[in-house]
Amino acid sequence: MMSYVNEYDTPECKTLAETAKKSIRTPESMGLDRCIQCGACTASCPAARFTDYSPRQIVKKVLENDRSVLESEMIWSCFYCYSCNVRCPRNNSPVTIVQVLRQMAINEGIGIEKLAYFLEIGECLAENGASKVPGAGIRNMEKDLGERWIGIKRNMEPIRSELGLSSRDFRDTHGEVQAILESTGYFEREKWIKARIQEKKIHGFLKTDLKTDCSKNEKKSGDFGFESDREYTGQEALTV
Amino acid sequence: MKAIESIPDRKLLLFKSCMVGQEYPGVETATRYVFDRLGVDYCINDEQSCCTGIGHYTDVFEGLTTTAIAARNFAVARKCGYPNITCLCSTCYAINKEACELLNTNTEVRDKVNSIFIEKGFDDLVYEKGDMNPRTNFYHAVEILLSKVGKIQEEKKFDFSGIRAAAHHACHYYKVKYLDVVGNPENPQLIDTIAEACGASPVRWYEDRTLTCGMGFSQLHLNKSTSLQVTKTKLDSLQRAGVELMIHMCPNCHIQYDRYQPVIEKEFGVEYDMVHMNIAQFVALSLGADPYKVCGFQTHSVPLEGFLEKTGII
Amino acid sequence: MTDGTTDGLDKAAVFICHCSGNISEHVDIDAVKKTLKAEGISVFDYEYLCSSQGQSLIKNKILEGNLDRVVIGSCTPSKHGTLFKKCVQETGLNRGGLEIANLREQCAWVHPDRTGATEKALSLLRAKLKRLENIEPLEEIKVDIAQQALVIGGGIAGITAALNLADNGISTFLVEKDSSIGGQMAKIGKIFSPDKLAEECAMCSLSPLMNEVAAHPKISLLTWTEIESLSGSAGNFMVRLKKKPRYVKDSCTACGRCSRVCPVPVEDEFNCGYMDKKAISLRFSQSVPKIYCIDPDYCLQLNGEACGKCATACKTGAIDFSQKEEIIELNVGAVIVATGFEEYDVSQKPQYGYGIFENVLTQMELARIMGINGPTKGELLRISDFSKLSNAPKSATCTSGCESSSDHSSDNSSGAETPKRIVMIQCVGSRDEKEGGNRYCSRYCCMAALKHASLIKKKYPETEITICYIDVRAFGFYENYYRAVQETGVNFVRGRPAEVIEKPDKSLVVRVEDTLNQKIRELPADLVVLSAAMVPSPGTRKIASVLNLSQDESGFIKERHSKLKPVDSSLDGIFVCGTAQSPKDVTDAIAQAGLAAVRARAFITDSPKSLDNEIAAINQLLCTRCGECLKCPFNALSLNESGRVVLDPLICTGCGYCTELCKDGAVQVAGFTKSQLKAEIEGVLEEGDMLGFVNSGIASLTCDNIGNSVLTYPSNVKLIKVPTTLVVGRDLVLHAFKHGASSVLFVEDPPDSPRAEVIYPLTTSHFKKLKEELGDSGSRIYFKKTYVPNTKGLAGTFTSLAREGEMIK
Repeated sequence: MMSYVNEYDTPECKTLAETAKKSIRTPESMGLDRCIQCGACTASCPAARFTDYSPRQIVKKVLENDRSVLESEMIWSCFYCYSCNVRCPRNNSPVTIVQVLRQMAINEGIGIEKLAYFLEIGECLAENGASKVPGAGIRNMEKDLGERWIGIKRNMEPIRSELGLSSRDFRDTHGEVQAILESTGYFEREKWIKARIQEKKIHGFLKTDLKTDCSKNEKKSGDFGFESDREYTGQEALTV
Repeated sequence: MKAIESIPDRKLLLFKSCMVGQEYPGVETATRYVFDRLGVDYCINDEQSCCTGIGHYTDVFEGLTTTAIAARNFAVARKCGYPNITCLCSTCYAINKEACELLNTNTEVRDKVNSIFIEKGFDDLVYEKGDMNPRTNFYHAVEILLSKVGKIQEEKKFDFSGIRAAAHHACHYYKVKYLDVVGNPENPQLIDTIAEACGASPVRWYEDRTLTCGMGFSQLHLNKSTSLQVTKTKLDSLQRAGVELMIHMCPNCHIQYDRYQPVIEKEFGVEYDMVHMNIAQFVALSLGADPYKVCGFQTHSVPLEGFLEKTGII
Repeated sequence: MTDGTTDGLDKAAVFICHCSGNISEHVDIDAVKKTLKAEGISVFDYEYLCSSQGQSLIKNKILEGNLDRVVIGSCTPSKHGTLFKKCVQETGLNRGGLEIANLREQCAWVHPDRTGATEKALSLLRAKLKRLENIEPLEEIKVDIAQQALVIGGGIAGITAALNLADNGISTFLVEKDSSIGGQMAKIGKIFSPDKLAEECAMCSLSPLMNEVAAHPKISLLTWTEIESLSGSAGNFMVRLKKKPRYVKDSCTACGRCSRVCPVPVEDEFNCGYMDKKAISLRFSQSVPKIYCIDPDYCLQLNGEACGKCATACKTGAIDFSQKEEIIELNVGAVIVATGFEEYDVSQKPQYGYGIFENVLTQMELARIMGINGPTKGELLRISDFSKLSNAPKSATCTSGCESSSDHSSDNSSGAETPKRIVMIQCVGSRDEKEGGNRYCSRYCCMAALKHASLIKKKYPETEITICYIDVRAFGFYENYYRAVQETGVNFVRGRPAEVIEKPDKSLVVRVEDTLNQKIRELPADLVVLSAAMVPSPGTRKIASVLNLSQDESGFIKERHSKLKPVDSSLDGIFVCGTAQSPKDVTDAIAQAGLAAVRARAFITDSPKSLDNEIAAINQLLCTRCGECLKCPFNALSLNESGRVVLDPLICTGCGYCTELCKDGAVQVAGFTKSQLKAEIEGVLEEGDMLGFVNSGIASLTCDNIGNSVLTYPSNVKLIKVPTTLVVGRDLVLHAFKHGASSVLFVEDPPDSPRAEVIYPLTTSHFKKLKEELGDSGSRIYFKKTYVPNTKGLAGTFTSLAREGEMIK
């Protein structure tokens, strides 16, 4: 399988640390090399509090150039809440380093099935100039939030009108957003991602991967028996 | 640290938020209502697109895409003469601010973005270094409200005396670009100060005050148990603190708490005596706005009727 | 000053040193002698001119020939310049009549080609002769130094410095802004020590010293006094002090009756606000001077209400409400700044709950609570449990504390609880890059935490203590102490806590990752102690600005050189010690204070002081009093009452910036006048030479170092020493080009010292301006900043520029 080239988020460098520092996702004067492993990030991290995620350990692996971190389920647990970013006494930024690691994983086709759920966001943006919760998410929300929310959503157009707004959140981007997504390689990447997911599915990787994922999650975070948790297979968005 | 005196009230582009538009349109109308009454000069421009935040933080978009979309929105703001981008959503705020900084400091990215614009014939979108200033062209609506806190106090028609309110400041407002926060980023007090001006008694400190709402972009969808556990943790703390109103500044947090509070109550067998609203909705109420025709409370999941009756608004 | 009479060949002589072959093996001294003699110049040579025989030779020839000018060709003047200067001065010759040509480091050692070296030696000697044609005698400037010193700050550093000065016979003023000396150390119950595993009673060490200060005949103690301004210059500072009224006369016997009858309770800053004092009080029971003091903000009588209870109670009639503020002016030769530190404001880290939760406190506050003369008489209690009211001062004369420690432990009537679990958080505000934090390590806090843990463990063995640390920095012998504390059963968790949480019963929880076992822990605590960073005290910041001293980015007063001049401030005659200079513990503060006293004493006793530096001289005939030169970055120039520009010789560094500013040529640096430099240029240059103007400091050392490093460069590289390249104006560069220079290189000192930090940016902008003014020729001038080890780089620059010159030729 060919890997995907994403030169600004994951510039090709000798080490993970170099890539992380050069990436446009991370702050310019990030203190990655200055990390003293004090654990302020992990102690402040909501994901670390409820799962066995540890930003400190991820940073350590990056500094050790341990590429196995890309395969680790851990990197997919970050909330992107930036608590580590605001707390780190060395101006390191584990949260943005994790963003780079996820991009690197995606380039290698690792964990790529997690994106399936969200790919619709890009298409929606191209079409409407606005984003929305992807269809799979809507279906889960419908299950979780029930009739009241469904009713609100159904009534949204008249409510907006009553508020004096256009009936829908209308954006007129003159096709520029579509063109930008195309020129910055979004559609190409989307196609590549879909193909990789399909490939995995055919090879049956997806199924086994997901199974181990789920059991792992169960152990880590505790399963509260949400209906949608059980039903979600990560595949719904593929049909879009 | 951002100085309150430096916050402008002129030439603000009120940056439309996708999540506000689709879930809580009343946040937008309430903000407009308040801005109108406070004499803030702003405009809304339909040419402005989504900031890409939802896609960016679900790892769908590359940084380059996000930056190019942001550059386009900056051109929209400049072209209409309202270059002070003022966001309703904290993620829009962070995304725009970071993109601006990147465009100013990274020549390679800026040239790449501009070459795309030129190739597509969008010459008017081209971004020159320094066209926007990451520190002085980007604001969150809550900062504008804070800068007008004196006027809010003067103009308030309805006093929320005795209301025990708690602020949930949005992570992407104060933890991403932490050097540009009004006040100490370890303890932002913007919402508390504004709520106090409306007569409420803010709980200035409570356990887990700086804990994220738990939405976590992909986390709500992929690791929902953990996501809601985080949300519950904060709701529990607020319940212990006797809070009756939780005030927000970001539609993502708002969804997480308002939409999912009933879900958490059901799944965990708990009950919360708490309602949710955006700070603009709260200020609008205080200035005399209609709870439904301006604040749009009919789109909320946690019913506000009890709160509105208790306070005597309805 | 110019006698301008003759070309003076008959009064001149050249002495050449063989330097035991170092020079003679590379330079054909005979050939040089022959050539110069043919021109009618007397030339002498000797194996070692620096030897006593060599010096006698020089002296004899001067006296025999009635010489008035001498050129010595030898090693670098930075090696034996002072020696030769002294040698010629002994014959009555002015030092302006001596020139030294560097034939070793900048000739023999760097030019392996004998012909080239010989030619260059000749040109160097000729240049110096040419320079002497219009001999300009140099004035000997001597300044009287005021024979008394001022120490600012009465903490342990200031006390130590003052005692050391006084013991060495220097009359010393010790100024303290509070009503008693003692500083921060007086607040600490017990202190740690590197050579004992036990803690020492702070007051037992401090109190005798404080009393010694009060009793010392050579020390004038001025408490309740602040510095208003400082003028004058090194050796003769005029200091204006404001002595606030105490409203209590010296006849006070400190019996304490006044305080007992005073009806006004006031928050007691000395006790961290944990208890109240009265509006008339002693700062603490061991205060020096032991004279009560009235707080004018709270005293009823002073605020227009009829009270006067204290005056009635006082048996000696010491209360005097009519006292007024006094202004005192002192003339001192040297100043020692010992204004100390304050604790970092930990409320800037709200995640740790200080100021939000009652049971969060700092190490200094804990030290105060543990102090036997503290709010709980040394008993450890939860802050939320002891109320101020129950501790209102009963008797303010609870004299000296340490021996009666056990008496008070059962004195707890309020039902307050001793904390069972204590968590300490290290590095609060230290090692922190975030806004409001400090990047440095505060040095004392690891030991303070260990000390407090040890004290508590000894007194309350059941207490569970956990120290959350990143690294334990128990440097040197303190490691022994660390081991001893480990053995008492204190827990150590390696991790920087995220936050502190308060529970409804006011107990606390510290959330931290134990990075050694990778577990997030929630440590329960009855008391959380924050080891706050040490930051400069408000007094330190204020004094730095009143005295105009350089500060580092954190506001500490910057020493001139961290190793070689660790207690010299950026201004001559002003010294710094203790925590005003950098974070440190009591032991280090005392050691540094001793050095500051020695340096100050050496400065004062070297009177009258003769100046080494060549400094600016103003030609009042040419001066138009335009005031341009007053832009001097060191403020050495000023206008006197009659409107004349005058120079403070003690402040002037001789940098020559004023010569650039003066459009009328009225200011010149003595020894480096335009005519002298022009003469040297004419003498030294041959067609196609590269000419370097070299700063006489680091840059000159670097040039010499090329020779020491056995590196080489072409012999058509000619160097002229200047005080800084600021004296090299457009006319000098053009003069060099006119006399054959192919290129001109400015070699400057790096901005590594406080002086160079000021001068360096001026030299670069001076260079840029010059380059512009010169138009096309501007492309032939270059600039290089050099560090002493950078010999290869500089030799490389010389070589490439010289080769270019040859090609042009």
